[in-house]
Amino acid sequence: MPSRPTNSGTRQLSQRSVFEALLHGSPISRAELAKVTGLSKQTTSEVIDAFEQQGLVRPIGRTSGNVGRTAVLYELSPEGGHVLGIDLGAQRLTVALADIAGRVLAEADEPTDSRGGVWAIDQIARLSDRLARDNHTHPSRIRCIVLATPGVVNPKSGAIEMSPNIAGLGNLNVVGLLGERLGTPVVLENDINLALLGEIWHGCAQNVENVAFLALGSGVGLGLYVNGRLVRGENGAAGEIGYLPIGGDPLQAGSRLQGCLEYQVGATGVMRRYREAGGSNVDSVRQVFERAQEGDPHAVEVVAETARLTALAATAVIATVNPQLLVLGGSVGARADFADTVARILLQLSPRPVEIRTSSLGRRAGVVGALSVALRRLHDEFFGVAELAAALPLPPPARRSARQ
Amino acid sequence: MTGETAYCFAADLGGTKLAAAIADARGSIVAELTEPTDPRGAAYVAEQIAACADKLGQTVGIDVTQPRHVMVGIPGAIEPRTGRISLIPNIAGLEDFDILGFLRGRFGPDVAIENDVNLAMLGEHAFGCASRCRNAAFLSLGTGAGLGLLIDDKLFRGARGMAGEIADLPIGRDPTSQIPASGGSFELEVGSFAIVDRYRRQGGTAAATVRDIFRLLEQGDEVAASVLDTTARWVALAVVTLQSLLDLELIVFGGSIGVRSELYERVQRDLPALVSRPIAIAPSQLGDRAGLIGAAWAAGQALR
Repeated sequence: MPSRPTNSGTRQLSQRSVFEALLHGSPISRAELAKVTGLSKQTTSEVIDAFEQQGLVRPIGRTSGNVGRTAVLYELSPEGGHVLGIDLGAQRLTVALADIAGRVLAEADEPTDSRGGVWAIDQIARLSDRLARDNHTHPSRIRCIVLATPGVVNPKSGAIEMSPNIAGLGNLNVVGLLGERLGTPVVLENDINLALLGEIWHGCAQNVENVAFLALGSGVGLGLYVNGRLVRGENGAAGEIGYLPIGGDPLQAGSRLQGCLEYQVGATGVMRRYREAGGSNVDSVRQVFERAQEGDPHAVEVVAETARLTALAATAVIATVNPQLLVLGGSVGARADFADTVARILLQLSPRPVEIRTSSLGRRAGVVGALSVALRRLHDEFFGVAELAAALPLPPPARRSARQ
Repeated sequence: MTGETAYCFAADLGGTKLAAAIADARGSIVAELTEPTDPRGAAYVAEQIAACADKLGQTVGIDVTQPRHVMVGIPGAIEPRTGRISLIPNIAGLEDFDILGFLRGRFGPDVAIENDVNLAMLGEHAFGCASRCRNAAFLSLGTGAGLGLLIDDKLFRGARGMAGEIADLPIGRDPTSQIPASGGSFELEVGSFAIVDRYRRQGGTAAATVRDIFRLLEQGDEVAASVLDTTARWVALAVVTLQSLLDLELIVFGGSIGVRSELYERVQRDLPALVSRPIAIAPSQLGDRAGLIGAAWAAGQALR
């Protein structure tokens, strides 16, 4: 089990540079590492030797094809440390395991235990244990866990607030309970913020500085990413757009409780409006959309109104924060037909230039984002340098594990 | 102040008036003046700004050809990369006039322009009621509606400098009605023309300006009271919108209409029924000088 390299000062910076080069350019030889980092060959070799002893890197072959001597190629070792990303949604629980190099080793998902609360926590622990076991990863090698949860994570208390779609989470110390069960510290983050970070790392928002992620599924929410940082707000409640005064009377009972917009466009709102319009019984929003596609006039009307209200919410976002890119996500928001309608209405509503894309990671966005945050934390634990405020950039996508 | 001392020049350009100031190297105002904005448009306004610098220089006895930094507030959106100005409804020709180039020609290279409401936000952050805030907004209500945003202690401008251009927030028309052909809903409800128009539509006759309506309100005019009630309701919904998007610590009310206690207190009264979480709002502490004070402060910061 590697631990944080103990040397300080320039040596720490050297180690960070070599690690970053390995993160972004493996497999790579010592000579090439020296060239990329600007460090001397001697320093590079010392760092590589230390990393190899710590189990952080491993030789993976030799250069070939060139005239002259071949050189050993190195890559980050999967034994260097693992992270777990968890997305606890109202409908689905997804867990993913990655190694220190950002290779996603395995993913698993199942329907969320509808009883919520301690049952959901128990379910998370069981699924995580199984995933680690199936991948021959001892739980002690998991260094960091990030959990995506709906609602607001209060940055001061760590409690989950305003999460109407999963029962019984508000009164629980989720961080404490889950951390104890899994034996690793757990970090909570809002699911939409993490879905946004997922799209930025592996999805449709790569290399964009100013992104808004509007998610519509069980509920409605917004993630904002500006100049390399999430916008969280004073109490962690930025982006709680369910409370936008759009779509009805904000003083109405349902609006007060759930939020005016969410009361209309959240899953229960869509199903309620379909019933009120005269539609027959449905168990899910998906059914309403399927019926709209089959031409059920009540469903068509409800879907159109949902798109219109979503576009109005997007207009408020665009007018206020002027994003470069607006990503539509969530189980409803990422539907191509729905997103097209929203984009068309937006074109009429808003004179501001904004690019609109649909989430490319779909329902994996949250768990991928959770992995990205867990990885940054792990890297920071090993190679964080106090004087360097910026985190190590994560490696680009399309690096799948050989095991898959 | 001697000719040797480092100093800044700051200006806040509005549709009706132009304020200008000489500030010391820390951005504190030493001398200031206000005049009506030259109605003939951009080129004249630019000359007027330069003339203000000369007048102020004479007042304090310095030659204002080489201020260490110049900051001018502009009532429009400024594209951060190109410096291009847009969304200026009330100064003719400014969108097509290279005001930055003109000012650099006069004062040298260290000139910056910034959205006027952003500068008002900075003013309140540096010296006013938002001095302890990391996340706050300056909501300016007057001829139009604008917003300056402070996020994590920094000015927030958006991808193309258009953050806070809230004229077309989808607030005002019945949200369940037909889609409006174009934006501008919010400003169409709370801009000064909308308020006067509402007063006339509700049977009031004696008001030509919003100021008249405030005067009539003082005299017990019921139509004026009802018009302000309606206006305050739309403003309250904008506050709820900003709060749900950004979770701010404080929203500062400014601008010629926004600072009026008659409006502000009505908004304050409406809010508790509209939100489950409390929202702090406060009238601007610096009043109509917020933009100029912010400009001077920002110019001083640029020297650091």
